[in-house]
Amino acid sequence: MSTTPTMIETKSLIKKVNTSEGSLQILQPISFEVKSGETIAIIGASGSGKSTLLGLLAGLDEVSGGHIFLDGEPLHEMDEEARARLRGEKVGFIFQSFMLVQSLTALENIMLPAEIAGMDNPKERAQKIIQQVGLEHRAHHFPNQLSGGEQQRVAIARAFITQPKILFADEPTGNLDSANSQKVEDLLFKMNDELQTTLVLVTHDNELAKRCQRQLNMNAGTLTEVTQPLKVIAGGE
Amino acid sequence: MGMSFSLAWRLFKHEAKRGELTIILLAIVLSVTSVLALSLFSERLQQALTDRSAEFIAADSQLRSRNPVPDEWIQEAKNRGIDTAFQLSTRSMVFNQNNLALSDLRAVNTEYPLKGTIKITDTPFATGYETQNRPQPGEVWIDSRLLQLLKVDIGDQVDVGDIKLTVANILSEIPDAGFSVFNTDPMLLMSSDDIAATNITGPGSRVNYKYYFAGDRGEIESYYDWLRPQLDRELHRWQSIEDDDSAIGRSVARAEEFFLLASLLAIILAAVSIAVAAQRFSQRHFDPVAIMKTLGASKQMVRRIYLIQICFITVLGIVIGIIVGYLLQLGVVALLADAVPVAIDTWYWRPVGIAVFTGITCALLFSLYPLLQLFSVPPLRVLRKDIDATLSSRALQFVFSGSAVFILMMFYSGDFQISAILFASGALLVASLVGMTYLLILVGRKFGTSGIGAWTLAWARIRRRAMGNSVQLISFAITIMLLLVVLVMRNDMVKQWREQLPQGTPNYFLSNVSETQKEGLVQRFEEFDVEYQDFYPVARGRFVAVNDENIRTEVSKEGDEPAREGRRGLGREANLSWSTTLQKGNEIVEGQWHDDWQEGEPVPLSIEKEIAERLEINMGDQLTFNVGSEQIVATVTSIRLVDWQTLQPNFFFVLHPKAMENFTPTYITSFHLKDSRKSEISNLMAPYASVTLFDIDARIDQLREIIDQVSMAVEFILVLVLVAGSLVLIAQVQASMDERLQELAILRTLGLRGSRIRFSVINEFLIIGVVAGLMAAMANEFSLYLLQTQVFEMPFNWHLEYWIIAPVAGALVVGILGAIGCWRLLSLNTSSLLRKMV
Repeated sequence: MSTTPTMIETKSLIKKVNTSEGSLQILQPISFEVKSGETIAIIGASGSGKSTLLGLLAGLDEVSGGHIFLDGEPLHEMDEEARARLRGEKVGFIFQSFMLVQSLTALENIMLPAEIAGMDNPKERAQKIIQQVGLEHRAHHFPNQLSGGEQQRVAIARAFITQPKILFADEPTGNLDSANSQKVEDLLFKMNDELQTTLVLVTHDNELAKRCQRQLNMNAGTLTEVTQPLKVIAGGE
Repeated sequence: MGMSFSLAWRLFKHEAKRGELTIILLAIVLSVTSVLALSLFSERLQQALTDRSAEFIAADSQLRSRNPVPDEWIQEAKNRGIDTAFQLSTRSMVFNQNNLALSDLRAVNTEYPLKGTIKITDTPFATGYETQNRPQPGEVWIDSRLLQLLKVDIGDQVDVGDIKLTVANILSEIPDAGFSVFNTDPMLLMSSDDIAATNITGPGSRVNYKYYFAGDRGEIESYYDWLRPQLDRELHRWQSIEDDDSAIGRSVARAEEFFLLASLLAIILAAVSIAVAAQRFSQRHFDPVAIMKTLGASKQMVRRIYLIQICFITVLGIVIGIIVGYLLQLGVVALLADAVPVAIDTWYWRPVGIAVFTGITCALLFSLYPLLQLFSVPPLRVLRKDIDATLSSRALQFVFSGSAVFILMMFYSGDFQISAILFASGALLVASLVGMTYLLILVGRKFGTSGIGAWTLAWARIRRRAMGNSVQLISFAITIMLLLVVLVMRNDMVKQWREQLPQGTPNYFLSNVSETQKEGLVQRFEEFDVEYQDFYPVARGRFVAVNDENIRTEVSKEGDEPAREGRRGLGREANLSWSTTLQKGNEIVEGQWHDDWQEGEPVPLSIEKEIAERLEINMGDQLTFNVGSEQIVATVTSIRLVDWQTLQPNFFFVLHPKAMENFTPTYITSFHLKDSRKSEISNLMAPYASVTLFDIDARIDQLREIIDQVSMAVEFILVLVLVAGSLVLIAQVQASMDERLQELAILRTLGLRGSRIRFSVINEFLIIGVVAGLMAAMANEFSLYLLQTQVFEMPFNWHLEYWIIAPVAGALVVGILGAIGCWRLLSLNTSSLLRKMV
């Protein structure tokens, strides 16, 4: 295990925000590592700081202190442009509210990251991957013509088209009913498995979290490794 | 680059198909359409009106001279491709056996007139018809009056100078007959080839030479530049249609300024609608930008994608706008074809250029701030929907939009004054509205805390979104203000034009009425039930001195030594009148009217303001006139402003009657005779054959026709601006509806009754409408004051009625539009409302 390279590393990571009542620290110093190919779940109650952490890890937000290394690159030293380049090269995303571009078709949404990254034949790649998520017959539909489950499958296809090293998923099943949730979960883990992507998943769904190799609990800005079976914690809330 | 282009194209294609670009496209189309239609139409109308004015001087430009001008001058014009024509005019006795009459003799070449037509008639005093013929050598065409005076008929011969000429036609009208109450000799038209043989242009005769020029405007201007250094101020006078200071000339000039104003307003309206639409466009793209950035798009890439997209939208908008604008003005031209004879066969590139420039400038400059905002959307928005654009500077927005509007206005009008006035009014409006917004927040705080009645909800919403509403309020108020300005200007202008020629405007002038005939005429007018005006005594006097300084009344003859430098005279005899009552339409601007003159004081005289300025005469100056063999000395005791636009006899000099006691005056007067009674004229005037009768009906008709045409054109422009304004209002309400969607969905989901939500939304719009209307009325008054006094030179009136009409209309229109918008939204069920929000 020790020979596996580290994909994410944080050291004393903190985040402060300015409010009308002064500066508020919403993340206490956080230090942890994620190995390449590992799947981890960050669980915790609403407002505990999960999404804030995800935003920092994915380079969407700026740190207030500490260090983040993403695949060895110092994210905390980068400006927004450099972070955007890094995201384009190495990171995939799946969101609770799907975040598809409404005026692009399913296929075009899938093509988008490949185009931005300047890859060859984005259309062919997208056509191939849309078959993998079973939506080739919906390729030319717009997001608002698709069901929630279908939209999230498009989002999964979009996330994997560039074969990212790391995938960040923010409550990927949060907006779906249980049948669709199951389908999307299965698809996500199947594709992740195939491509050996490092997965960081934020959820408050313990069932989903259990499918990951490691679970971390976020509570009032503090992150702790979950060592006991999840049900206990869930029951204890 | 290729990627950005194809992505931009795809976004543009899909969004256009799905109707998501409709609002911004419409805004650009609206700006291009209205600017194109307005300027194309006004260009054509101006051309038509210019042609019309050209008819009054029978050419585009005229050179008048006391002497024949060198042949090279005319040859030079011909070499430049300019058409030329010639007329010699003089007053000359014409005889037929024992009958004789003084005639206004005009000798013309075959090219005359270059503009307008000559009209003749078959029976005396009948309505004339156009003819392409000209008097041939050996012929004279004489008017009905001369025909009567000489007791001749067609085919008879008359003596003109040393030769006999045959009466070939009865002359009815020539284009540049001129209009002077005092210069009313009957007219005679003959060929200029016969002039030499008549010997009437010998030494001592007063002859005027007119040279006419028509052709390309630029050519004529450059010809004049060539000619000017050779002209002698004393002998020559150059006149162009632009110099036309007549009532018609002024009406046309004013109408042109109105078109300019209306077009400027249309530009501002279009700009406002583009600003609103661009804001909405930007907000709709916050998510896609955040997504693209999250997926690794650089700032530069995002910028490129959206700039290319805006270019696509602009180009499409401009193309549609040009097509629609062209069709629209074509339709209007066809509709107005009978009333306004404009040529539609010429294609004017200037308006197209202006429209395209406007479209590009509006689209780019007004979307600049919303786009900058859009580019500043952070990628974190994908996780937190509440994060908006990081760039938010209202000041920056005002600077961008303000300078864009000003640049456009300056570019379009080239008139700093008119642009500055509109801009200042707009700025005042914006400043007051921003102030008002903060006031609303304060007031709303007191209101918005009790219960959830429809009014409370409305107030609460206004307060909560005060800044958002202030933008809306500003755009509503600017729209209403612009509409008001155009409406009021049009009303005031048309009213003033109509007052120039009220019903019953005298259409006949009489001069040479003797003291003894005056009483009889009055009786006769009353007998015939004819509306007549006052009788004004007139005496011809030569103006010879100011104080002790003699002035030249005659121009120097050729070959004479130039006269000594000094005051210029009037160049000919002046008509003096005398009265103790101030004439209608005259206003004393300096000194006092001489109605209470005391014996022993110097004889008082009132002088017209412009002539006083021209002759450098001041209050207290002593003026000397030679009237017959007598000398009259009077002191200037008042200076009058005269409205020359009324068709009333007016005088440069009005004396106290005391000064004229020793003179037998002749009188002039005017009267009105309806069209249907025109046949009575010879009967009415039969006993007064020596009185000179001058029929100005044709002139009045011409004037009235032009005023009608211009009014109609102005009305059309008004309608066009109104339509544009309404579209802008609709776009604004539509845009604000989107913003309200979320709140409506929540209130609806929470179970608040539809009727209550509806009322609250309508109330909100009503309040916004009232405030916008009130503010608009204020800014309207301010800009009207500046426009009317500084640009249009009209008297300023308060427009108090609009202080009531504007808020009421504002509330109604904005309220109704809001109601329609929200009715549509509330007819959706809650789940589709919620879905629309996503």
